[in-house]
Formats: sequence, C-alpha cells, structure tokens
Amino acid sequence: MGLKIIKKILSGNQAISIGAYKGNARFGSGYPGTPSSEILEHFKNYPNVTAQWAPNEKAGFEAALGASIAGTRSFATMKHVGLNVAADPLMTSSYTGVNASFVVVTADDPGMHSSQNEQDNRRYAKFAKVPLIEPSDPFEAMAFMQYAFIVSEKFDTPVIVRSTTRISHSLGVVQFDPRTLDNEQNLKLQKDFRKYVMIPANAISRHKVVLDRLEKLRVFTNETPINKVEKGKTSFGIITSSMAYNYVKELLPDAHVFKVGFSYPMPVEKIREFISKLDRIVVVEELEPFMEEELKIAGLNVEGKKYFPYDGEFNLDIVEEGLKKAGLIKEKTTKVVFSELKLPKRPPALCPGCPHRPIFDILHSLGKDIFITGDIGCYTLGCLPPLSAMHTTVCMGASISMGVGASKAQSEQKVVAVIGDSTFFHTGIQPLIDAYVNNANMTIIILDNRITAMTGGQPDPGSGFTLKNKQVKPIRIYDLVKSIGIERVYEIDQYNYENTKKLLKDEINKPGLSVIIPTRPCVLAPRKIKDTPLVVVSDKCVDCKRCLRIACPAIDFKNNKAIINEMLCTGCEVCMHVCPVEGAIIKKEEK
Amino acid sequence: MNINSVLFVGVGGDGIITASNVVAYACMFAGFDVKKSEIHGMSQRGGSVSASVRYGDKVYSPTDKIGSVRFMLATEKVEMLRWAQYLNKNSVVVVNDRIVPIIGQTIEEDKIDEMVENIGVEKLIKRRFVDDANNLGNSRLSNTIMLGLLSNFMDIDEKYFVDAIDQILPDKLRTINQTAFSYGSRLSEEYA
Ligand SMILES: Cc1ncc(C[n+]2csc(CCOP(=O)(O)OP(=O)(O)O)c2C)c(N)n1
Ligand code: SF4
Ligand code: SF4
Repeated sequence: MGLKIIKKILSGNQAISIGAYKGNARFGSGYPGTPSSEILEHFKNYPNVTAQWAPNEKAGFEAALGASIAGTRSFATMKHVGLNVAADPLMTSSYTGVNASFVVVTADDPGMHSSQNEQDNRRYAKFAKVPLIEPSDPFEAMAFMQYAFIVSEKFDTPVIVRSTTRISHSLGVVQFDPRTLDNEQNLKLQKDFRKYVMIPANAISRHKVVLDRLEKLRVFTNETPINKVEKGKTSFGIITSSMAYNYVKELLPDAHVFKVGFSYPMPVEKIREFISKLDRIVVVEELEPFMEEELKIAGLNVEGKKYFPYDGEFNLDIVEEGLKKAGLIKEKTTKVVFSELKLPKRPPALCPGCPHRPIFDILHSLGKDIFITGDIGCYTLGCLPPLSAMHTTVCMGASISMGVGASKAQSEQKVVAVIGDSTFFHTGIQPLIDAYVNNANMTIIILDNRITAMTGGQPDPGSGFTLKNKQVKPIRIYDLVKSIGIERVYEIDQYNYENTKKLLKDEINKPGLSVIIPTRPCVLAPRKIKDTPLVVVSDKCVDCKRCLRIACPAIDFKNNKAIINEMLCTGCEVCMHVCPVEGAIIKKEEK
Repeated sequence: MNINSVLFVGVGGDGIITASNVVAYACMFAGFDVKKSEIHGMSQRGGSVSASVRYGDKVYSPTDKIGSVRFMLATEKVEMLRWAQYLNKNSVVVVNDRIVPIIGQTIEEDKIDEMVENIGVEKLIKRRFVDDANNLGNSRLSNTIMLGLLSNFMDIDEKYFVDAIDQILPDKLRTINQTAFSYGSRLSEEYA
C-alpha cells in the first residue's frame, strides 16, 4: 500500500481520537464533560471499535481497564473533575498495571470556561505514580496520544494524557499517515491473580513494582524525544509545556527553550544539562507550579511562579506581562489602542422553551422558606436572576446528598434538591438511597429531559439510544426510584404550569420524602422542538413585566409592551400561564 | 514573525464556527500555517462566542494579543464593541448592523451605533447584511456575504475561499454560499 499523507485542519480532540486509533486502541469509554466530549464522538466513527458512554467517569475508567486486561488497547476520556470521580480506580490501577495499553485522557479547563473549578490534573500523575504526557497543539495531540500507547505497554502502566480547553478546542494543520502502528502484539486476556487482585498481600508486592517502574521512568523521561531542547541565542532559558509553550515561542522566538512533553516524571537530568550553560532559567506553566516544584526538589535553581499567576488561563498578554516582570523582555509589544468598553454582559440563559424554566419559576414563587440544593447541568442556570432558585452547586450528584444533610440539620426551611437525569445516573442514585434509608424530610426533583444537554446533547441511560446511535430500551427513572421503596413518586408534564405548581407546593409542605420527575424533553437535543409560536396582544398587555421574570430569550420589551420573537419562540406556553391577563398572550394563529 | 488574524465575534447560534472554518481552510490552501481557537463553553445558551483564525509562515498561539487583530467579522454590534480592545488603527472591521437583545436589559441602539461609528479603525463597514441575505433568499447567508467582502482586504486569493467553501459546507448549501460569497466580494467596490 502506497503512503498517502492526509493534511487537514483538526481540533485537538479530533486529533486525540486519530492518535488513539493509530495507536491501535479499539475500545474507548468515558463520560461527557467540556472540553473532552468530542474525543469519543469522533472515535466512534472508526470501523471495528467499541466506543461507549458510561454513566460516570469511574465506570468508564474501569470499563477501559477491564478491556486492557482482556487484551484490547483501550482509553478513557473525561474532563478534569471527572478524574476525581475515577480517582479510586486510578490509584490502584497504577498497582495492577495493564495488559494491553491503557491511556487516560483528562481535559483540564484553565480559566473555567465551563467548569466548577480549575484543578491541575498533572498532580494526579505524581499522586498515582504514572507517566504524564502533555501535547501543546493538535498535531502533538495526535502524535503524543499514539505514543502514549507505546509507553503504556512498555512500562506496564496506565498513562495520563493531559489536554486543556485551549488544546482540545483549538484547530491546527495536521499532516498524518492514516495507517496504524504496526506494533500490535495480539494479546490475550490475562488471568494473573498476583497482578490483578489487590488484596493486601499482593498490593504490598505490587507497590514495590510501582516504585521500581518509577525509577525506570525517571531514566526514560531523559531519553524520550518528546522532551527536547530548542536552541536559541539568549543567555537565559525557558522551561515550558502544553499551551504555555506556544505563547513563549511567539513572544521569545530567539530564546533557548526546553519543551517538556513527558512531564511526569520530569526529565531532571536532561534539564540539569540544559541549565548548566545558561545564566537564568524561568519555568512558564499554566496553573500550578508543577514542573517548578519537581525541579526545585531536585535541587535545580529555577524561577517561575514568582512572575506568573497561579490562577486563570494564560494568553499572549499574560505571558508577556510575566516575562517582563522577570526582566526577560524590556518592553511589552502590546499596544492598547481601544480600552475596554462598558457594555452589558451577555450571560448564558436557558433556551426558549426549555423544560427547566417553569420548575424554577415555580420554586421562586413558592417563597423564601425553601432551601434549594442544586446540581450541575443546564438547569444550574436556574441560580441566576431573575429565576434565582438554587442555593448550592458543588459537584455532580451533590444536590440530593447535601439536601439530606440540610434537612437533618434544621427544620425551619423546607429542603428541595434539584438534579438532572444525566447527573442522577452519574452520581445521584446512591444519594437517593441515602435519603431513603436515612429518612430525609425533603422533596427531590429529577429534571428528566432525557439527554445530557449541557455538554452538547450526549445520550444517557434514559435516552433510548447509545453513542453509536443504536436504539436501546431506556431506563425509566420513575421505575428505578419506585424500586427502592420510595412511595410518593410522581411524573408530571411541567408545561402544565398550574398542575405542576400545585404538586410541588403540596409535596414540599408534606413531611417525609417525595420524588417529582418532570418529563418534558430538552428542546435542543436530540432533536429541535418547535411548536406554533405565541404572540402578545399589545392592547391587552398591562406592562406588569411578569413574563420577563421567566427569563425567556424570546421575550423582549419595547415601548412598555412585551413582544415575542416568533423565530425563537417554541410555543411552550409557559409565559401564557404566568401572564395575569387572560388573552394577552395567545397562540399565533388565533390572532 | 508575520502573523495575521481574523477575529470572529457574535452570539451563540450565529454560525461563527462555520465561517471561521472556511477562513482557516482558505488560509491553509493558500499555503499558510494556521491555528484557530474557538470557545463554545456556554455558547449554545446564547452567550458571547468568538473564534480566531491566525495565519502566517509559522503560527504558535491560537489566540490573539490585545491590539493586534487585523481583521474582524462581527455578526452583531454589541459583541463587536466587546472585543474592540483587540483592534488597532489598521484594523478592518465588517459588522452586521444588528443587535441581539440581552435578557432583562434594554440596549440603547443609538448609543451603540455612536460607539461603533467612533471606533476609529482604518476601515469600518457596517451594513444590514441581513437585508442582502434576504435578497438572495436566505437570511442565514449574512456571514458568507460578509466573508466575501472581507476577503478583498486579505492577502488570500479568492480561489482559495471558493475551495474552502466546497470543503466545509454540505452539498446542498454549496452553490448558494458560493453565490453569496461573490455577491459579498462585489460589494467591496462600494467600500473601496
Ligand atoms: C464529574 C463531572 N463530570 C462531568 C461534568 C460535566 N457536566 C456538567 S453537567 C453535566 C450533565 C448535565 O446533564 P443533565 O444532568 O441531564 O442536565 P441537563 O444539562 O440536561 O439539563 C455534565 C456531564 C462535570 N461537571 N463533572
Ligand atoms: S439545551 Fe435543553 S436543557 Fe439546556 S437550556 Fe436548552 S432546552 Fe434547556
Ligand atoms: S411560549 Fe413564551 S416562554 Fe415559551 S418559548 Fe415562547 S415566548 Fe418563551
């Protein structure tokens, strides 16, 4: 077969999935989370691969580990906080090691474009004593991902590949040979009690294997070509990795640069040699001083976070500022010509017709004596004014369990937990059992729009189809909740505003545990829903602005009258139900 | 290092990702290295969206520096102003003369227009491209018309844009977008 090079503009995530396939991965699993979701969405299109969404990251991680032990090269994808959920298997899979290669992709989110924190997952590699590989652009994302599969089998270890939002969601020119690695070994399922059963007796000896492997990796990291020196003309040197590398190269094209691609364990010896010929060394890295600390522990004289922020995403301007503070550039080239203007912010909002809207409007209107523990998804937007109906959001699944605690700790406020369907399947089921067995006095609302909407509409166990678009029987949340033994469980059509309000009010005021499941689907995914739009009869509008309080993007006010944008309106009728004037908002054709 | 960049700004659902992909491919076909960044965190929910295409002999950073953007395509006026600090006196800005309302806020269009017109870049083209698009029979063609117009100021031959449109857009939208592109390109005579 002749060599055929493909040249394309690819996102980091597309590139990672190509790298996985070229590395002979044939099994991929994970849980959606921005900015990691597109990796499996691309990978699923390859022939002869298994690609599937798991209900959460721990399940996805373990499925991939199981595939590896069964002899198939595998990987798991997740966003940074997802690795917290999968931290338990991560820590011990370091002890078991792998059979066929197993790679864990974590996509971090410096700057918190779409996350609840900006933890730096490089720390996990050190914590678990596994190798860490960090690409800096789409081309490297592909090449390094493929490389990770070689490292994994060579050293019998899971390997972490770390991307960031800016790498996953940036595009670059990638040239590649679409053929896969030819190092496949035809591995068979491995039964090895001493290696894979981590009872203390086995784990004690495996820990020694881990430490021994770490020593070998400490040698390897100085030899791998992805840790490399780029010679320059300066008297100082820069050590950098990941996205920060790009900013350094653009701002200091003449500097000596040590580019770290294999960042745990750090290539201390190679860096020692790099440093020896230079006056000064500055480490430029986003978020934590991970490399700086490793180098300082090794006794190397480097500077770093003295000049650069610990928080937020880097960009050319921030890195230039830091380099100037460090005295490595004299003048900033940034010329601020137009200063930042004062403009109204454009906060995200629930879509027109979103099924979550009436629930939050009702909770808001039920008054101040309700404490609402929330969760993560599109519905988290219910915390913003004017809906303002959510008082906590910590991590996925925390709504119900925090509600259990809040309901036990006091009795002045009624407790309501609000959670989405995908989040419920992710980590909401055990908290629900907690609420039941510990007899919590609370109302749980499971917003069942039957999709993981927030991250772009991936299917969950209630959707009725899979990542590969195969039809399956959906799990009905009502049946699942009932099977636990909870008695007061209701499904309700929340577009029927009055009935929903009555049910919520009654249940919140009754003592004991109840579960309410609003069942309207998301209007955006898996398919767009648009019904006949509504219109405002201008003469009848009394300028009370009640309809503005539901925060529907289709409703605007001009000349003291509400107007509905018929392109945006989906016809959910929620505004009509909250409007106090009979006949002021009507279906369009009735006009 | 000579890097040019095109910054696309607007509101979720405006089609910025597609428009920026067309430019990225046109630059690659013209023989440049290209990096592009896009942020689509909460964009689906109507938030601000931006994408940036940077091209040159060798491009490292996918994002721009303040005051360094040569070309801007804005699908909406408030968003154009929000990103104004990335522009400089030599910038060329093509902006669709429209405002997407913000929930719970009244935007005074006169004030916004005044700010837009006083921006002081080398070339500011503000026009109701929506009307042009409707004349061509599809309100969603605005971006392609704007691209056609903007392409005249860029050092990228028109033929590469034509190829890029073929590469990016699905079959049934190709011809109409090619028409919209050349319509936009011809508009530049009005703004020379
Ligand atoms: C541990 C973890 N994994 C993934 C995410 C990303 N994420 C945020 S919300 C969400 C699920 C949202 O789905 P659902 O609960 O059904 O609510 P919807 O958005 O559909 O309203 C996901 C996957 C996260 N924040 N934390
Ligand atoms: S995507 Fe679906 S769930 Fe999310 S805001 Fe829109 S309608 Fe609501
Ligand atoms: S019916 Fe009312 S609330 Fe529903 S989408 Fe239309 S304008 Fe918005």
